[in-house]
Amino acid sequence: MKAACSRALWIARITFLEAIRQRFFAFLFVLGAALVLASGAVRVFDFGHSELKFIADFGFGGLFLFGSILGVVMTAQLFFTEIDNRTALTLLAKPLSRGEFLVGKFLGAWAVLGVFVAVLALLLAAMLGWRAAELAQLAAERRLSPPELDLAGLGLYALLQWLRLGVVVAMVLTVAAAARTFLFAVVVGALAVLAGQLQWLSQELLLKPAEAGLAHAGVWVITHLLPNLQQFNLGDALVLAPHQVPDGTLPWVFVSGAAYVVVFLCLATFLFRRREI
Amino acid sequence: MTVGPAIEVRHLTKDFRVGLKGVKLRAVDDLSLSIPRGQVFGLLGPNGCGKSTTLKVVLGLVPATAGEVAILGLPSATAAARARTGFLPEAPYFHKFLSGRELVRYCAHLSGVAPDRVEAAVAEAVALVDMTEAAGRLVGTYSKGMLQRIGLAQAIVHDPELVILDEPTAGVDPVGAAAIGRIIETMRARGKTVVLCSHLLGQVEQVCDRVAIMDKGRLVLEGAVDEVLERRDRHVLTVDALTPAALAAAETALVAHGARLGSVTHPRRSLEELFRELVTGSRDA
Amino acid sequence: MRRALPWVGFLALFLAVGGVADASWRRARLALPEIGRRELEPTVGQGVLLGVLGGFRTVVADFTWIRGYVLWERKNDRAGTELLMRAACALDPRSRFFWENAGLSVANDMGHWEIRRRGGYAKVPKEIQDHVLKGYARRGLDLLDEGIASTGGNAALLATAALVAELQLKDLSLSADYYRRAAEARGAPWFAARFAAANLWKDGRRREAYAWYRAHWVKVLRLSEDGAPDDLKELRDMEHELRLPLVARLPLQPWEVAQPGIVPPRTGGVAAPAPAGGQSRK
Repeated sequence: MKAACSRALWIARITFLEAIRQRFFAFLFVLGAALVLASGAVRVFDFGHSELKFIADFGFGGLFLFGSILGVVMTAQLFFTEIDNRTALTLLAKPLSRGEFLVGKFLGAWAVLGVFVAVLALLLAAMLGWRAAELAQLAAERRLSPPELDLAGLGLYALLQWLRLGVVVAMVLTVAAAARTFLFAVVVGALAVLAGQLQWLSQELLLKPAEAGLAHAGVWVITHLLPNLQQFNLGDALVLAPHQVPDGTLPWVFVSGAAYVVVFLCLATFLFRRREI
Repeated sequence: MTVGPAIEVRHLTKDFRVGLKGVKLRAVDDLSLSIPRGQVFGLLGPNGCGKSTTLKVVLGLVPATAGEVAILGLPSATAAARARTGFLPEAPYFHKFLSGRELVRYCAHLSGVAPDRVEAAVAEAVALVDMTEAAGRLVGTYSKGMLQRIGLAQAIVHDPELVILDEPTAGVDPVGAAAIGRIIETMRARGKTVVLCSHLLGQVEQVCDRVAIMDKGRLVLEGAVDEVLERRDRHVLTVDALTPAALAAAETALVAHGARLGSVTHPRRSLEELFRELVTGSRDA
Repeated sequence: MRRALPWVGFLALFLAVGGVADASWRRARLALPEIGRRELEPTVGQGVLLGVLGGFRTVVADFTWIRGYVLWERKNDRAGTELLMRAACALDPRSRFFWENAGLSVANDMGHWEIRRRGGYAKVPKEIQDHVLKGYARRGLDLLDEGIASTGGNAALLATAALVAELQLKDLSLSADYYRRAAEARGAPWFAARFAAANLWKDGRRREAYAWYRAHWVKVLRLSEDGAPDDLKELRDMEHELRLPLVARLPLQPWEVAQPGIVPPRTGGVAAPAPAGGQSRK
């Protein structure tokens, strides 16, 4: 077991080094950071929202959008580079199981996304903290209550987004394990992420009272097969209105995300075992 | 205790499904082969004959359609079997951002070398392939020959009993190819089994103990090099200072004994021999 | 059969994990107001936008509002204006600004646009005008109700709804109800309780007005920094108008006796001048 973990970690290390050298990563990283920093400048378009909410939404949007793109494209690229260049041939001829290879790929890609999320979250925290301090001072002068901001909540939100991106990476690896080409893996992976973002619609449908039938059963199966990625978007509540998050919500969301990662990696390993290198 | 063969292939068949209709393409057809330990074994054949597919099945990279393959007594598709095997693929490609030493170290960890032994194993492997000076450079800066040699290093860093080399000298100049040949001989001297796939028949002839020739997925010939190449129905006499009179007398004597003089020609050196006589160093260093 | 077995196993595994995810979603959705509230169940289209845009929906909402505002300025595309304003609200349902201004545009402006579209004030009969104006006022109020639900009972929105009910629908009872809810909400405007009581009073529900106003003053207003003396003054006026016996009135506050011009209730030995001009509350 220890040897297996060691091998997977070595694959992860090299995958991480390869990923952070990619220009695509640097490009999206800079774009995301620029977006967060720009939120301070485009406040003029804020129509009376809580100013902090406007800044926070820019940051959440950047994390969400660019993180998702990075998760899909980078993961597929890291996988297919090994296959197309045939480095996978050299590696898998060693006493390295296909499962260890995939777990290593997952950990490496996830670590890169962790760096991405951490840096953007720190930038956002700096923007929000600075502006919240200014607004608090203004509020004190006008004898009003200061704006609500929970930076610890932002840390939790960053962890949630990292976990969501972990689910995305695991999904894309599953698609890549069966796909023949990089483009196919990216397109299907992106569609799977989109489906995950919209899965909540079918789940809301199930919560409405309805007659049990074939359609209802179909919707039930879909909600259980697709991960619900919307449940990770608790940024507004965690950062700007912490009292809105019911007790016990976060542990369930974390367990749900981790469970999907494990199941997708198992499926990916099963599909990859049958693949001819 | 009887020691079994290094590789035992029994009735191996591999089919690929091609195209939308899933037409079967038979790449390997009922191949049976036994590769003894401690020898250099050449696996030859034209392009598309099934050599690479056979090697991939042996290494567990591709599942067999039928038949059994064992490496050093263990089923080939297991990690335990691969732990005692080293492999250099054809036209190897490695991560360009790693240095040669980092690459070999990475492979050492993946191959199960004990953490406290890794640095020594890396140094040894790199020295064996004569890449010590260049090991600190990025793999992306290596020439073809250097790439093959560092590839050899990653294949042997964990001191495997069996080493499989697929076209190790493809695209390498004769001096570099000779260097690789010497490394193979060193490995044989250390008791390793080396399986060599190559189109350079001259080198195979020099280095290998046994050869197998495949064609259209089937085994056409297998045996020791000397045995398969020897033409027992003919003799070669090498004569110095042969005059026309001596030649006529020799022919008469042969006819008297029931033999027949087939031809009289001057022996030739091979181009490789001539090349190596004239060129003393490689541009790789 | 053997080949299908792994797939059956994975299906079972996914369904099991799906059960965990289901339990997780039931909790998480309560923290997502635009999803958690039954009153605001989005349409599939809005749901897609919510799902896809993530945090950017606020920014998209702002630009949608700008487009709606441009149409509002032109005053010639009522349907388009309302559609864009509603879209901005749906994209960012927690924004008071969008709900408030959309509600006021519909309640106050669109009725007049409709009348002009039908030929103008000279041509359209008075009854029709009233019907149209009230119809749009009701429509605006419905929009404000949606906004109140999605913002968790925003006090400013409740006050705006009260204003629309009072000025456009001329419904003092409904207005009072909104003001009352505003007074009891978080961040209540200083005037909410007073206007609630005033409208109830004007509606003829005097005792009810006093009872509620008094209870609210004791529970909430009295605890403010200055003790809400203006509201207490209103309560004293009510007590006077209702001719409440001493025991039924609010006890004298310590600072009331010290403040000249305040009319304390008739107690033993403390007399006070009658209100100037002999005026009483209507």
